[in-house]
Amino acid sequence: MRIHLDRPRCEGHGLCEEAAPTLMHLDDDGELLIDAPDVDGADLDAAQAAVRVCPVAALRLEAA
Amino acid sequence: MTAPTASDLDIWDDQLLIDPYPAYAKLREQGGVVHLPKNHLYVITRYDAIREVLGDPATFSSTTLGFNPMVNDALQGTSLASDPPTHTQLRATLSENLTPRALRGLKVVIDQKADKLVAELVATGSFEAIDSLARAFPLEIVADLIGFNGHVKGNMLRWGQAAMQVIGPMNQRTQESFPIAGELYGWCSSVTAQDLTPGSIGRGIFDAEARGDIPQGSAGHIIHQYLGAGVDTTIASIGNIVALFGRHPEQLERLRAKPELVPAAFAEVLRYWAPIHIWGRTTTVPVELDGVTIPAGAQLGLLIGAGNRDPRHYENPDTFDITRNPVDHLSFGYGPHGCAGQGLAKLEAHAIIDALARRVQSLELGREVREASNITRSHERLQVLKVVAA
Repeated sequence: MRIHLDRPRCEGHGLCEEAAPTLMHLDDDGELLIDAPDVDGADLDAAQAAVRVCPVAALRLEAA
Repeated sequence: MTAPTASDLDIWDDQLLIDPYPAYAKLREQGGVVHLPKNHLYVITRYDAIREVLGDPATFSSTTLGFNPMVNDALQGTSLASDPPTHTQLRATLSENLTPRALRGLKVVIDQKADKLVAELVATGSFEAIDSLARAFPLEIVADLIGFNGHVKGNMLRWGQAAMQVIGPMNQRTQESFPIAGELYGWCSSVTAQDLTPGSIGRGIFDAEARGDIPQGSAGHIIHQYLGAGVDTTIASIGNIVALFGRHPEQLERLRAKPELVPAAFAEVLRYWAPIHIWGRTTTVPVELDGVTIPAGAQLGLLIGAGNRDPRHYENPDTFDITRNPVDHLSFGYGPHGCAGQGLAKLEAHAIIDALARRVQSLELGREVREASNITRSHERLQVLKVVAA
């Protein structure tokens, strides 16, 4: 699966980073960077958690 | 096609608004969608159903988020009452100054102000928590943010309360609040850059309008929304923080032992007592939700507090537990209309909780007074009879 970010919708709340710190992070300007967009196994669980907690629904998972 | 079952409850009954949780439990067990003929409304009661509605703006429109036609007319042209794609630009303009990255510079000042205020109150030994803390703190922060001064500052509380109240049905509370909400609307329509403190975010919004970075006329709308949305809700949350830690001393002890629980504690306060009772949507097409069919054009009322206590989603939902960390609670809404000010709300509330955790050993509460209110659930008075300093 691949993590898709709707960038205009992202406001940098950062809950995804807490849920999946190895997959994404906010940079020094508060912009979200997806470090590992393609996920499977344990990473997929973390990615799903990140998608779930995004307060503005800016993240989704798509078939790679 | 199964129609939703009906209940004869009045969701805006005074007693229900003061303590809605027993009624929420009843409605939630009856169904995820319950028809309330008295209110011409379908209420959505279960966590998953509420999330589904909030996440699907094409099916569930925000154009009638309020519960009377006058307020819905007045809100036309705001991000609150619009759907994508119009919503997308309005939202970006509204939230640009409210994102966590935009607010980063405010954290130090907000933390200092919270600490000073809490320290002063603790030193007095006993205090009334609503006027002196729950209202005083966000009013000062929002006033500074927008750059208010003079007589306007004195009107913020009543304007902010009225702006929420008029979202309700056309009952007495709404009727009495419309003239006051009108004062706010009038002021926001006539305010100019010169009325706002240089260097404030409010002043910056007018400067952006003058430069043509945001559409002409949108600056007043944005100021309106900051005040309408950012006052009454935050007041409710801070009152709830004091009341819940007063009622649950063991939770205050846990927090004092582990201050890193501050964000989790605020999430749990928001989950346990939702600052907003109910929020509206309208179906654009006939839709199946939680096993029943809702007709097109139906007015929905999302019962945020009912969803937050849904045992299908949270274990022991009626227990206040600051270690739960329910980051997916519904009190900020969810999706494209998710609360634009949640970054600021968290800065304010985290600062207050952190200051309480460091400075307070215990709180003894006196009378808690709530008054029925259409949209926001907050305390009118909350006496702290005795506060023991840490």
